[in-house]
Amino acid sequence: MDYRSVLTTCPYCGCGCGMYLPVVNGRLGRPLPDRSHPLSQGRLCIKGYAAHEHVNSPDRLTRPLVRDGQGLRPATWDEALKLVASRLMGIRDEHGPDSLAFLCSAKCTNEENYLLQKLARACFGTNHIDHCARLCHAPTVAGLVVAFGSGAMTNSIPDLEEADCILLTGSNTSENHPLISTRLLRAKRNGARLIVVDPRGIHLTRFADIHARPRPGTDVAWINGLMHIILAEGWENREFIAARTEGIEALRAKVAEYPAERVEKITGIEPQQLREIARLYAGAERGSIVYAMGITQHTTGTDNVLALADLAMLTGHVGRRGTGVNPLRGQDNVQGACDMGGLPDVFPGYQPVADPEARVKFGKAWLEDGGDASAVRELPHEPGLTVVEMMSAAAEGRLKAMYVLAENPMLSDPDIHHVREALQALEFLVVQDIFLTETAELADVVLPGSSFAERDGTFTCTDRSVQRIRKAVETPGEARPDWQIIGQVASACGASGFEHGTPEAVFAEMARLTPIYGGISYDRLEREWLRWPCRSPDDPGTELLHVDRFSRGLGHFTPVDYRPPAEEPDEQYPFVLTTGRTMFHYHTGSMTRRSPSLDRELREGFVELNPLDARNLGIADGGRARIASRRGQIEITARLDPAAPPGVVFIPFHFAESAANALTHRSLDPVSKIPEFKVCAVSVEAG
Amino acid sequence: MGPYLFTEAGDLASLVLEPKHMLAPICQTILSEFPEGKLGVVVRGCEQRALTEMAKLGQVDLDRLVLIGLACTSAMARECACARPYPEHIDAGEKTDGVSPTEDGRVRELLSMELQDRLDIWQEAFTRCIKCYGCRNACPVCICEECTLQQACWVEQGRIPPSLPFHLIRFYHVADKCLGCGACEAACPMDIPLTALHLLFRERLRELFAYEPGLDVAHRSPLITSLQQAPFADGRGE
Repeated sequence: MDYRSVLTTCPYCGCGCGMYLPVVNGRLGRPLPDRSHPLSQGRLCIKGYAAHEHVNSPDRLTRPLVRDGQGLRPATWDEALKLVASRLMGIRDEHGPDSLAFLCSAKCTNEENYLLQKLARACFGTNHIDHCARLCHAPTVAGLVVAFGSGAMTNSIPDLEEADCILLTGSNTSENHPLISTRLLRAKRNGARLIVVDPRGIHLTRFADIHARPRPGTDVAWINGLMHIILAEGWENREFIAARTEGIEALRAKVAEYPAERVEKITGIEPQQLREIARLYAGAERGSIVYAMGITQHTTGTDNVLALADLAMLTGHVGRRGTGVNPLRGQDNVQGACDMGGLPDVFPGYQPVADPEARVKFGKAWLEDGGDASAVRELPHEPGLTVVEMMSAAAEGRLKAMYVLAENPMLSDPDIHHVREALQALEFLVVQDIFLTETAELADVVLPGSSFAERDGTFTCTDRSVQRIRKAVETPGEARPDWQIIGQVASACGASGFEHGTPEAVFAEMARLTPIYGGISYDRLEREWLRWPCRSPDDPGTELLHVDRFSRGLGHFTPVDYRPPAEEPDEQYPFVLTTGRTMFHYHTGSMTRRSPSLDRELREGFVELNPLDARNLGIADGGRARIASRRGQIEITARLDPAAPPGVVFIPFHFAESAANALTHRSLDPVSKIPEFKVCAVSVEAG
Repeated sequence: MGPYLFTEAGDLASLVLEPKHMLAPICQTILSEFPEGKLGVVVRGCEQRALTEMAKLGQVDLDRLVLIGLACTSAMARECACARPYPEHIDAGEKTDGVSPTEDGRVRELLSMELQDRLDIWQEAFTRCIKCYGCRNACPVCICEECTLQQACWVEQGRIPPSLPFHLIRFYHVADKCLGCGACEAACPMDIPLTALHLLFRERLRELFAYEPGLDVAHRSPLITSLQQAPFADGRGE
């Protein structure tokens, strides 16, 4: 008789909800919410309750696949691993280390991300390692480091309840971070004012005290406009500015250029409404800014984040309970994948690759201590390529091979026609995943990995809480835990330093080298709730960042100017397209579309249209529409929504057959290299 | 802690009784997976009544269960507004007095309000719903194999908040089976006070039909009727 319930962490968004996986005779049942979990408190969303369904899917990959003349055919692990090692080493020896690139994964554990970036850097000698954080919160990491010294959510999920004013912008929280919307609505019921600044009408706008609707891509203008009003009225927190910040004079000069009338011309927000937002947020005792992709996925993404940080410092809303600048990270472990150095410019714990001391430290640990049979003598110092840059480099022939761990750029990246050309131009593509995704279909070798329920490890959720995931069931067929596969690839390449044996041993090595994780161990995670930074075994972790001083010392004001989006509507493409997610699916749908209870809710993609626009175009609710941009064209079902702004259409990016990213473009934020998913020009006609 | 199945007597030293998980549906899962097995289960009052109600619905075989009764504390009874915070036989804990649903602050407040204000409160609360189905998933007597809430003809699919029928259908599906255990509300990410609604209905059921779900396997719901029968206890409607 085998009935067990295994405590683990939800594999979907960054809320980090706790769940028990019931296992009956070796098979997973529907998750049971963990009633004593500090973040989710015995609740889950529909995706959480469906988290066992993709694990049990008959589509799971169960054997390695290798491409021959006829396509992908089953192979033994021995054959697949030898092929991966010989091709990757061969390409490196022929074309140099920077002819290879690696994508790690926000869906994989901290341990696996640590191992893959170590493989890229120590075994192959390249910093070309990145992941889809580039497509979501790269501007947060870049912007908040400049302003505060740390690129993560300043406060915690439970702490959001303590705000008495919440400025929510560019986050459809109820659908994308459901268990965080719980906290926002509780704050609201406790008397907090809820201000939503978002072009779209979303679930939470029904509860908002103010809903301001800027034109997409005009965020710097309204944020500067708020600061203009706050300074003009003397509502700034002078004590905080004097004691805790630097650079106020430059900010003052810049925001003077943004009177409300000019802001209205750019954004469409009326001066009176802007003034009311400024009054409520600046006048609050505890004002909290909560934001997500609506702020970051712009060619001005870093500027948008810097402006929000400026606004928080100007009003002293940082470093106390119920305040802060709170980016909501989108994936179960996207915070962790960044923390682990799955980025081209930093080692684990955000230690720059350009810093000689950091290179010596990691070189000593990885190349000397571990020993290395491969040719790497010292770690590379040049920051590597980012996700979208990798695709361009592949299309141009500068990259020859890629190793993709549990990512699906064929749906998630902008301009997927270009992504296909890029991946097809590679000499060798390895994809490690649990399903044959659109990206895996193009691979030369596919390595079958494991689901969240089949291995041990840790995830770091959006509020920096580090949590265990625990093995509940065996991998199907010959599939293997991902941390083992990465170690076996390393061994096949002749590298040493990958013989950890357990995820716990990988974590221990990482923690030794990563000060912000230095005090965390599996043992402590059994007993304690820990958020990084946690630097020593007796450090209780850190719920609120920047309490008495900012991570960088003084908070730094950075004045920024409004720049228009890279592609604005014109006569030929008169609508603005914004993309995003929905309640019922997750990212590229590889897990959720194989989950019957989620597929049942939403079987296909849709374009959200304002009813007046739809009437002018002759499109009915549920009718077909043809959407075209300079990159491509899709056909899709129309969903008319009176809350949709005129002239703007929204398409979720989950669906391959009506792929939003066939339309989006590759213009990048110059600092963080995020593409502008939230604004591109499209035409709409009845299909 | 999560639900745990002990198979070795020696392990019982590690038994803990918190937090409360609704064990009745878990018993059903285990019994159906292990048809020859017999199961001992620690039950609070609401869990025992859930098992009784599930037995009426043909979901569990009570002969295969050994119930170990656990009485709740008076603090827990108040928290749940529970009228019977104890099972039929108490093996552990002290029997404490129940709380009448009308003593519950939220229920009292609702009852003191105008109908229109009550409607407004519920509409606002249901607008918060993000359609997680947690209320259904947690409910020990929500047992349909094909769930009406997932059928497009009743509730529009793929959008939040779901339309009002989502809540009303669920409510009347369980209205005469509801044990007032509060599992639905405890699972609600939007803090919708579902228990208050159910407690009021249970109270009406008691007043009108002298009926309380979960007390006796032989006692059938008065709402299961035919056109020839009238449900009222006093013979009204005959």
